[in-house]
Amino acid sequence: MKRLVDNMLGLMVIFVAIGTVALLVMPLLIATAMSFDSREFLGQFPPPGLSLQWYKGFFSDAYYLKGLQVSLVLAIAATALSTLIGVAAAFTLDRYDFRGKELLSAFFLTPLVVPHVIIGFSLLLFFATIGMFDGMLQLIGGHLIITVPYVIRTTLASLVGIRKSYTEAALSLGATERRAFWRVTVPLSKTGIAAGAVFAFAYSLDDVSVSLFLTGPKLYTLPVAMTNMMRSQFDLRIAAAAVCLMAVTIVLIWVLDRIAGLDKVIGQGIYRK
Amino acid sequence: MDPKTIAQSAGPDRYLAVKPAPDHREKELDTKSGERPSSFPGSHMKLTRGAALVICLVVAVYGTLLLCPLLGIFVNSFREFIPGRIGAEANSPFTVANYADLLHASYASYFWDTFRIGFIASFLGVFLAFPIAHFVARRRSDWLRKLIFGFLITLMFLSGLVRVYAIELSFGPVGFARDIAPLLGVRVGSRFYIEFMIVLGLLHYAVPMSALVLIGTIQNVNPRLIEAAQALGAARWKSHLAVTLPLSARGLLSAFLISFTLSISAFVIPMVLGRGRVMFVSNLIYNRFYETANFPSGSAVAVVMLIISLLVVYAVSQVTNSRWGGALR
Repeated sequence: MKRLVDNMLGLMVIFVAIGTVALLVMPLLIATAMSFDSREFLGQFPPPGLSLQWYKGFFSDAYYLKGLQVSLVLAIAATALSTLIGVAAAFTLDRYDFRGKELLSAFFLTPLVVPHVIIGFSLLLFFATIGMFDGMLQLIGGHLIITVPYVIRTTLASLVGIRKSYTEAALSLGATERRAFWRVTVPLSKTGIAAGAVFAFAYSLDDVSVSLFLTGPKLYTLPVAMTNMMRSQFDLRIAAAAVCLMAVTIVLIWVLDRIAGLDKVIGQGIYRK
Repeated sequence: MDPKTIAQSAGPDRYLAVKPAPDHREKELDTKSGERPSSFPGSHMKLTRGAALVICLVVAVYGTLLLCPLLGIFVNSFREFIPGRIGAEANSPFTVANYADLLHASYASYFWDTFRIGFIASFLGVFLAFPIAHFVARRRSDWLRKLIFGFLITLMFLSGLVRVYAIELSFGPVGFARDIAPLLGVRVGSRFYIEFMIVLGLLHYAVPMSALVLIGTIQNVNPRLIEAAQALGAARWKSHLAVTLPLSARGLLSAFLISFTLSISAFVIPMVLGRGRVMFVSNLIYNRFYETANFPSGSAVAVVMLIISLLVVYAVSQVTNSRWGGALR
């Protein structure tokens, strides 16, 4: 009897787990299938035939293409800047001792816990107050502040993992302070820096909550364009765009696994320092 | 003996608190340069001028892009609303009316919706994530473990828009749900159904997030305790209920709180899936700007929301840094 109840419950738990995964995956599969729909209109699932018309439609629409271009330029600029600033901050925090260091490290990570809508809203107000109206600069600023903490966190984590004895060995073998830094510390923290850059790129490319406040009819990012289209004209070109974005995500995950190993990335989690 | 007593006597204190502690202490010594010979300045030096410059620069970036703007909305939230411009008049009178308005029933309902739906999604998320996390945590390294791991991380990374669109496509008016929903006695356009779709959207974040937190927790629960409980006669389900669950309590709580912070600050999910009929506080802030351009009121909402989110985050840090924090590592 005990066995029976156990097995029944065990089966039920497995069903719940499989059901949960299915519930999460199914919409993504349906969207992928629908993006190849051959009908001219948005019809019921499943599509009766396959075609690439929605992809063609997406990649020949000037509205989306402009958004895509802005998004890519923005993501590259934001990633470059936040990697530069984040790495400099992390190295300094790790290497030097000074008062208020703990507080400063915590402060540098705060953008992670401030809702992005509030960051977007406050930046809009701030830029208007100081009279800074260059749209691209506003966007870069907004994306910079939400991506920098990821770089700082991953870089700091990789620096903490470096055994101090390596640096000490280099020093005792006659290397100068500077040489030990460039030849030992920097190469060993490369994976953390690269992981941070991938995070920054992914989050910049995906952001809606901050960008929505800082974009207008003339300058907009791809996610903002997609959001607007979702609310006004719900067609399957967005499905095509979504499939492309999913492909980008999978490539990024693969890169992350190559450079850092997924286990390590997870070890840090979102709220761990 | 009752399995519960076993768990308690051998449990938290001995296994969770004591075991990870040495590791912890080592790290502390390391970073505070406690026992390092002074002949090796190696990693912790006094601040040089160049380093101080770097710190100042980064602080300046944060000051410009984070502190000043947040201070700005704080000041703005006390200004009187004058239509027709971004931000309040520089010398417009101070008032607390923007906050007083929030006590009004119609505003309170936005907060109520946000927390209610966020709570349901986070609770469900932890509940549904536990079996998945347990399965991964108790499995030796193999392709299935790696596959589920990769799947969870891909879900975490996946563009929010992609999820929202996929859910709208599958469960919206054109999706197959149009045929299924009536069978369950639910109308596709009803408020209940819209809330259901939002919960589904939030679960897309909450489940992978909770699962990843819980994997770490469950890995730290000594499997021998469950074996012991079963050897002493407890049924499998009872041993899990009396051993695994209590020992992962902190992890469950922290997974719930993390999901809750993500849920209550969600923006795109309620904006698209809520169709303007269900709105979260974040959508309210956007509407203050987009529809009425009432910045002082939007600022007041933002300040309240910021305080609440920071309180929840503080709770998370209290849970993860406490004495049993090692269990979450």
